[in-house]
Amino acid sequence: MNWSLFFGELVSGLTLGSIYALIALGYTMVYGILKLLNFAHGDVYMVGAFIGFFVLQWLGGALSPVVNGWIAVAIMFAVAMVGCGALGVGIERFAYRPLRNAPRIAPLISALGVSIFLQNSALLLWGPQFRSYDTFDLVGVKSYSIGNNFFISNIQILTISVSIGLTIVLALVVSRTRTGKAMRATSFDRDAAEMMGISIDRVISFTFFLGSALAAAGGVMFGLVFGQIFSLMGFTAGLKGFTAAVVGGIGSIPGAVLGGFLIGLTEAFATGYLPGGSVYANLYVFALLIVMFLIRPTGLLGSPVIQKV
Amino acid sequence: MKKVVVAATLAAALAVLATAAWGSTKGSSRVAAPANAGNALVKCGKTRSIGLMAPFTGPAASIGINQVHWANFYRNSYNRSHKTKIKFVNEDTMLGSANGTAEAVKGAQALGSNSSVLGVVGPAGSNEVKATTGALKGAGLGWVSGSATNTQITLDGTRTGFFFRTVPPDSSQSKSVSAYIVNNLKVKRVYIIDDQEAYSTGLADEVQAQLKAKGVTVGRDGVSQQQSDFSAIINKIPRNTQLVYLPWQLPPKGQAFGQQMKSLGRAGTKLMGSDGLFDPAFSGLGSNVYDSFFPLNPSDPRVAAFKKVHKATELFGAPSYVAAQVVTGAIDRACKNGTASRAEVRAQIKKTKIAASASLLGLAVAFDKHGDMVKKPFGIYHSVKGVFVRVA
Repeated sequence: MNWSLFFGELVSGLTLGSIYALIALGYTMVYGILKLLNFAHGDVYMVGAFIGFFVLQWLGGALSPVVNGWIAVAIMFAVAMVGCGALGVGIERFAYRPLRNAPRIAPLISALGVSIFLQNSALLLWGPQFRSYDTFDLVGVKSYSIGNNFFISNIQILTISVSIGLTIVLALVVSRTRTGKAMRATSFDRDAAEMMGISIDRVISFTFFLGSALAAAGGVMFGLVFGQIFSLMGFTAGLKGFTAAVVGGIGSIPGAVLGGFLIGLTEAFATGYLPGGSVYANLYVFALLIVMFLIRPTGLLGSPVIQKV
Repeated sequence: MKKVVVAATLAAALAVLATAAWGSTKGSSRVAAPANAGNALVKCGKTRSIGLMAPFTGPAASIGINQVHWANFYRNSYNRSHKTKIKFVNEDTMLGSANGTAEAVKGAQALGSNSSVLGVVGPAGSNEVKATTGALKGAGLGWVSGSATNTQITLDGTRTGFFFRTVPPDSSQSKSVSAYIVNNLKVKRVYIIDDQEAYSTGLADEVQAQLKAKGVTVGRDGVSQQQSDFSAIINKIPRNTQLVYLPWQLPPKGQAFGQQMKSLGRAGTKLMGSDGLFDPAFSGLGSNVYDSFFPLNPSDPRVAAFKKVHKATELFGAPSYVAAQVVTGAIDRACKNGTASRAEVRAQIKKTKIAASASLLGLAVAFDKHGDMVKKPFGIYHSVKGVFVRVA
């Protein structure tokens, strides 16, 4: 058994899965409340990555930032999350809210339209060239090892821990706060929640803010870990985030995180162990989606929808 | 009756599949030019149009802009010193983008249908050369690339007389690379990762075969050009690997790979790229980085003049200067009587003879029967303080 390979792929899978988990959380929260698949979510993640990049440039660039590298990273996260949170609220307000009472297909088409709009806006504004976060120059990437078989970098540690931390914060917001209670009530029965005096519009806007902020965090993480961002990066990441949400159980927050890690680990171990794995990693990921639908259509932690007849 | 319908449907489906399979084995490149393709005479006029196909935008824009700068550099110097002028009709191929070679094909069709265009410089990628063959050959256009190096695109016979290149093929590059790895770096364990494109897999196959023949242990893998996360494949590289060879086209990807190698504790492993990675993004990774690149005469005054206007590191596009020079010279000779056809321009491209003393490449430019340069050496470069310096 090649333990070096095993642990290497484990760490890679968890790192990638952390990013997918953050994207999946946005999908699952919006679906839980609105029963809408927000296909623009992957592009919000892309916008977050670019906001992080431009904040870094504004701070002086990776080579000579005006603040300490780690403080710069924190500022990048904060600005990207707030910026994309606002973007998510705006998207909900103008693209989805007017269609709330329309047939389900209408907001779905609108979501696709927003996705294409964001992609092409990014292409127009920022061009198709790759932008580099230059993480090495910014924070100095260090690799740590345990024995001869386990290696992990400081950026990978950051990514996994930030992802878990944000998930815990989200879980606390949803379970321990008044707004979280309102979110759960809206998700359970929107009409009843409205009759109980909950402002549905504000709850939905807050949900979009949270989900988009998490996607932005994922985007900045992607730039820090993998170095390169580009205008079209949101499409595939969004698909995989959606896959993670479905595999974990759409509408379930722990399910989204579990699904994200599962997708990341599938990609990594497929690359490491399966024939043509690095080229066909996406094939294995989406095959997992199909298998999940066949075995457990509600996902790993999803619950079947009961309809009163 | 039902059985008859089912049988007929199955037979039709089988016929469609068989036709598709037969068509795919033939390949899109086996396009015979129409008999009168490119024979139409065009009045030459004072300004002559040349198509310029390059990745102005897209993931490979960094090398594409190099090529455009060099081609424009040639155009500007020609126009200053001649009564006749040349102008480029630009087509952006967006090499490396998610929609593959579709943009290159569109651009080729546009150039083919523009009757004032007499020849083409580009495209950059070997895959693009293959994809655009139908459109360019069908329009009777000759085209000269300054960077498409896949060995087979001149040897397979589908473009003979139409396609030429001012850069040595991968068969030369692979020989130079494998010889340097074995004789100079004295490396015994190499891992090759291609990016699944024709240029990359062809070059990777050749280097792999040559290294194995010389007793080197070679691992092989592939990534997609759209991929950004290389950590999983880096983990797969055995820890005792001494050199990783990346015959890739996109310098940002090469840079990302090198950075991820470092972050995973593999900074000591040497990296070697191919001519597609001859870019500051790759050389900036550190002193364990090597690259192969086509020849250039560094003491040529034109190189110094170019460096005054553009960055000193933009040498990737220099063969595109020569490509523009070849096409322009061919048009001038074909236009001697005031009119020219695309077929005449192609014939003149074939007869190109630029003496070594006049050539930017430091060697004579002439084409063999396949469209390759007669002389085709490749140099090896080592990154010294972030800049590639020739070492072999």
